[in-house]
Amino acid sequence: MDIILAAVGDAFAWQALLAIVVGTWAGIIIGGLPGLGSVVGLTVFLPFTFGMSTITSMALLIGVYCGSVYGGSITAILINTPGTPQSAATTFDGYPMTQEGRVDEALGWATFASFFGGVLSCVILIFCAPQLAKFAVNFGSIEVFALICLAMMCIVGVSKGSVMKGLVCGMIGFFLSMVGSDPITGADRFTFGSYALSSGLTLIPVVVGAFALSEVFVRFSSRDDPGAKIPEAKLRLPRLGEWFKRLIELVRGSLIGSFIGALPGTGAAAAAFISYASAQKLSPRRDRLGQGEPDGIIASESSNNAVTGSSFIPTLALGIPGDVVTAMMMGAMVIHGITPGVRLMVDQAQTVYSLFVVLIIVNVAMLILSKPSIGLFRYLFRLHQGYVMAAIVIFSFIGAATVRGNPLDLVVAALTGILAYALRRADYPLAPLVIGMVLGPELESSLRRGLLIKRGDFLEFFTHSGISMTLFSLLALFIIWTVWSGIAQRRQSSANAPRAESDATK
Amino acid sequence: MIARLANPRVLLGLALFLVGAVLAFHAWRGPTDAMLMPRVVLTLWCGFALVITFVELSHATAMSSRSLSPLPVLMAAVLIAAIAVASLGFLLPSLPLVALTLWLFRLRRPLPLAVGTLVIAGGLWFLFHHVLLIRLPTLLTSGAL
Repeated sequence: MDIILAAVGDAFAWQALLAIVVGTWAGIIIGGLPGLGSVVGLTVFLPFTFGMSTITSMALLIGVYCGSVYGGSITAILINTPGTPQSAATTFDGYPMTQEGRVDEALGWATFASFFGGVLSCVILIFCAPQLAKFAVNFGSIEVFALICLAMMCIVGVSKGSVMKGLVCGMIGFFLSMVGSDPITGADRFTFGSYALSSGLTLIPVVVGAFALSEVFVRFSSRDDPGAKIPEAKLRLPRLGEWFKRLIELVRGSLIGSFIGALPGTGAAAAAFISYASAQKLSPRRDRLGQGEPDGIIASESSNNAVTGSSFIPTLALGIPGDVVTAMMMGAMVIHGITPGVRLMVDQAQTVYSLFVVLIIVNVAMLILSKPSIGLFRYLFRLHQGYVMAAIVIFSFIGAATVRGNPLDLVVAALTGILAYALRRADYPLAPLVIGMVLGPELESSLRRGLLIKRGDFLEFFTHSGISMTLFSLLALFIIWTVWSGIAQRRQSSANAPRAESDATK
Repeated sequence: MIARLANPRVLLGLALFLVGAVLAFHAWRGPTDAMLMPRVVLTLWCGFALVITFVELSHATAMSSRSLSPLPVLMAAVLIAAIAVASLGFLLPSLPLVALTLWLFRLRRPLPLAVGTLVIAGGLWFLFHHVLLIRLPTLLTSGAL
């Protein structure tokens, strides 16, 4: 108990609180700028932490991390351009709500779901970190393969209008993720002798091209249309009754994010898509998903922010960073004398509890700072559309160039932007392209590793373990459900067609 | 029939099929282990693209004449600037790109155009490259420009 009280005291020191406010606010702004995300934010702020105490420095970095994951949703909702890949799924329902004039409601749900997911994952982190770490260890390649197959099902759900077009976009995204070295043998694939291509294509340039640059081109096509103006950013947090009505969606998204975050190597973008896929099957308002339904925003935002807390589980408990961001955080911890691993809770319990408290304070700060941050975007988007679009182009370039310093990424972003514009004009959904790119590498490497374990016998995947059997059974159920509901929908629409015709003749 | 083939939706479906077919051909010639997944993905890609092409062809109508849009100019400018960054550094291609974008979005008064170009291209480059020390591609080996 003394340790916990001392930890709370450390987290509430004025230096730590100031660092949380500065870090969270900067994180929200950085996350909201297309192409710039958690990695850029942490890169900017890491050098400032060298002269700070351990808790203050970690408070600053955790603030930037959590703030940037939330900030990505602001531009995703306002201009259909996710600030970070983690917020790509937020565009599915966030932007349609903006087009319906419900921007305040969409931003309110994104803010509240982010806060809820972040806080719930902190609570899980405090009480269940060791148990969750143990359970996560049971997830081998075959279990991860089954989980990713389940997540891939959301391609069908987000491809309303034409499933075939969604699937082809998913394959394009999957293909883009396979350019470069083979994850198992190291052989070059689709590099065509180019040294620059041998390191593969990264997610940020593709997301920046698919969403940010293609949006600039779309807005350019309709630049004289007064209805195409960027709406004024407003925030209306949901009332108690409203969020209580959607409590199950909030809890489900947060639990999915908390669990996915605990698995090393998956990350917040994958969590958002997996959560969205589950909402498509389980939400009571699933028929309206993709047309401006808050449940879609809740699924995406609660899960991607829940990852921020639970991603510390493998990092702190096992010393395994889940993704690039947690690897950077782990580096910062080591610099400040925290050695992640199995002995951490024994050797530095007070520091660990301080980090947990800091995480909760950061999420509260995020809720408070959301209003002034959205206010800033309101002023920015009041500028002439030309300034906003030119700034999006330059931020996209900066985001693509800073991923790994490879100028080829800029060309990839530009080409993806042009391709995405052509696809959008022909009514191809872009979300599957990003889903394929996000989930593809993990799907391939888990399948290949699984095949190596089972000596090439794919059928053994289904009987490998209780977890894999459960996940594959769920997958089979999802497929049957999707096919059945598709047939039922088709029957209903063909039954309605003659009725509508006879009504029209009357 | 030719008029229907010239429909942009049909052409896009066809282009996707052709690109997929070329890549699939490349994948089927590569090593079995490394190309296992690409073969599956590209075969599916080709199949879906072919179905889409036929569906679009069956729904396609002859295109009416369209007015010329300057959008290809903007697209070409973005692509050229992206290619030029590797050899000219970040700043030099960004300045004309931002100026052209502002001009195409009908911001044509000289002062706002010049200020916008300097602040958006020059200002952001200076902020990231020199203040935040997030190094962007450079023209000079010293990294100053």
